[in-house]
Amino acid sequence: MANFKLLSEYYLSLKEKKEEGKKVVAFMSHDNIPEELIDAAGLIPLRMIFAGNDELMDASHDFLSPSTCAFAQSCIGAFSIKPERYKFLELIDYFIVSNHCVSDICASEVIAKYFNIPRLNFYVSYTKTGNSVKYFKLELLDLKKQLEEIKGTEIDAQVLMNSIKKFNNFKKKLLEISNTIISGSQKLKIFHKAMLYGPDILPELDNIILEQSQTQTSDESKDILLTGCSIFIDDYLNSLIEEGGGNVVFFDTWVGFNYYYQIFDEKVINSTKDSMDLLAHRFEKNIYGDHTVPNFLERKVSHIETFYRDHEKKTGKKVGVINHIIKFCDHMSIMSSHLKNQLKEKGIFVLNLERDYSRANRGQLSTRIEAFLEMM
Amino acid sequence: MSIVADELIRFSSVLRMAYNFLDGRNYLKKKKFREKKKLISVGLPFSDLVYGFPDLVPVLPIRMHEFEIHKYLTYLGSASNVFGWNRVTNFLGYIKDLGIKDISQTVDDIIENVISTINSKYNEMYDIGVESGISTDFCYGVKSLYGMNVSKGKNCDANLNYTIRCSTWNKYLESIEAIGNPSKQIWIEIPPRNIGNTLELLVDNINQGISELEKISDFSYSNTALRNHFQTSNQIRQSYKKIIYDISTADFYPCNPATFCEILALLNISFHDYNSNATRYKDNITLLLEEMRGRINKGIGVDVSNKPKILITPMFGGWEPKTHDIICELGGRVLYGDWDLLRFLDDIPISNTTDPVEAYAQFLMNANENGIGCDNDKLTDSYVRLAKNLKAEGLVFVQVFGCHSVSNCYTMLKEKIRRELEIPSIALNFNKMGENVEQVRTRLGAFMEMYR
Repeated sequence: MANFKLLSEYYLSLKEKKEEGKKVVAFMSHDNIPEELIDAAGLIPLRMIFAGNDELMDASHDFLSPSTCAFAQSCIGAFSIKPERYKFLELIDYFIVSNHCVSDICASEVIAKYFNIPRLNFYVSYTKTGNSVKYFKLELLDLKKQLEEIKGTEIDAQVLMNSIKKFNNFKKKLLEISNTIISGSQKLKIFHKAMLYGPDILPELDNIILEQSQTQTSDESKDILLTGCSIFIDDYLNSLIEEGGGNVVFFDTWVGFNYYYQIFDEKVINSTKDSMDLLAHRFEKNIYGDHTVPNFLERKVSHIETFYRDHEKKTGKKVGVINHIIKFCDHMSIMSSHLKNQLKEKGIFVLNLERDYSRANRGQLSTRIEAFLEMM
Repeated sequence: MSIVADELIRFSSVLRMAYNFLDGRNYLKKKKFREKKKLISVGLPFSDLVYGFPDLVPVLPIRMHEFEIHKYLTYLGSASNVFGWNRVTNFLGYIKDLGIKDISQTVDDIIENVISTINSKYNEMYDIGVESGISTDFCYGVKSLYGMNVSKGKNCDANLNYTIRCSTWNKYLESIEAIGNPSKQIWIEIPPRNIGNTLELLVDNINQGISELEKISDFSYSNTALRNHFQTSNQIRQSYKKIIYDISTADFYPCNPATFCEILALLNISFHDYNSNATRYKDNITLLLEEMRGRINKGIGVDVSNKPKILITPMFGGWEPKTHDIICELGGRVLYGDWDLLRFLDDIPISNTTDPVEAYAQFLMNANENGIGCDNDKLTDSYVRLAKNLKAEGLVFVQVFGCHSVSNCYTMLKEKIRRELEIPSIALNFNKMGENVEQVRTRLGAFMEMYR
């Protein structure tokens, strides 16, 4: 119900902006799309951060094989079935085809082609070297050109810089929220809303922080670090964790850390003349993202271990790790057993939780989560 | 099936290629321990750069395994070392002509088993991969490669890793280190698209890869050595393309269509690393082309003008090898051309530039842009181009379970085939060799009805 309210309000807000003549650019959520560039072009970025269900997944099978990532399937399904709650998808003017993973490529292409949404291209380097950063900048320039064609004029450098600063402040606020002691479900709700609306809700976030600073979570709950795939809007996974007595204290996912940790240092902003260099620099520094190879696993393990030790020191509580793997996710699945083994060696409990969005899974997921929390 | 062997025996080049593949373990042991050469693991046909160093040997890891080689083929290999392959195979042909049944039957078995031996080893690698923890949700190719690395990866000094659009592939490459494989990981990024000065960046990426190889090799990189290898590999590509385009599209085959499929399958598998010896491979494939042409000129072979040409693709990530047997039984003939589809059979353009690295960068970028494609439109265009060039009358698309890359373009491809080629197509699901043969037979039965 809460999500229904969020989504319908979002629809109205988006519709209002559309009536003002703004256009919407959607993309499958990931951490390397430069939303500041879209914003600076006077367009509205829309992240596809919506979970699926049986109907949405099934609807995608006309286009892609059922052994495609359940999130990608559901994104297609949302366009195919057009559920009322996702009515705002009708307002999309452009769709970015990118290569976060190959399912991103395929699903985005299907959405653009079969649902008649003009596509924009933005492909990201696979590694993180000097040359791949240079390549990323070429893609940025190309995307800028595509956006300028839509806009009809050039994107002003100062406007872009202002957008970068605006999103930077927004992410800092999300980081602040992440560090509060509110429950995982409250945090997730805020992240969902924030990533949907963008910096427009910055004033609202201030109030939320103020309100939430009064609340406390139960000391009895088991602290969880959620890594792997995100929990998207309309997903019941976080409820299962909380029902089982857990509380996600850290969302180490797209929706969460991967988004808000990509903050520019003020010094870097002030010393960099070319805004495009700033965006390229951010790609270079996005070392915890799952897109690039190699070293993803090594960094992930070290990052989780650092959080684990710090949290234990700060609260005296151990953190259990739930590695959320959406069925057929290339990035998370292939590394899952290695991640588990390496963290286990460091004394950290890990649950590799693989699932798709079918309702039938709910009971089984609940049992596994409960068993894991009990073991902790 | 004895016809298959009967035809194959007359291609000494095929025997050599098969033997070189199956005997890879001994060959590589000799290279590594006796000649102190270093093994570099490769996957997909990305072995060319390794040949720029005289003491580095590229290897598709499955070839480090021991294959069940019939003792007779072992004998052939040994005899060929003394007498030369031509004399040995002529002798076998002579025995068959004499009709000495027992011996020829043994030879039949050997040859027929070559492909099935390789395929059953692939299945074994698949099982090792799954037992070692890779999720069953991945495609056959990745699971098998994972198994190869778990079992034999430690014998290599390095892995040469090229990034492509398939995220499973890229992540699989990263996972090699996590397996506990001590070999060095050398990464070469092929940028997703050719925009701006991307080609310069790719040249630099390749040069960095070369520097890493130099650290393993006892030799310094030399333009001449790499250029010489590219000449050799271009000759391989040219012969391969002639076999695909000139021979397989003709109305008269130098052998039984089933035999022809097996030869194409063997070429497909061995092309990854040229059986670790590009010059030897070039000689064999050149001879193969000559042998095929020689037989056609003499009128030895089979009239296939009434057999519809069915293109089966993709097969490089795993396919059911019985598919071609079934199609042949149902009156068709099968064409395989994956490497051309992905533009790996285009020449490395060394005549256009003095720098072989630049030429290789152009080659890779062309494969990436117009073959593999970061974009499904490009990839499907590539399928259509191949089917058109081969004058295929039908297309069997292998939809590999767990393949999120190539298999996912079928909806788009089906439309293009219908619109641009107006030929029938069918998608066959594939998970593991031998797993679904009856279903494949039923579906192909219905499909081939269209040609009656």
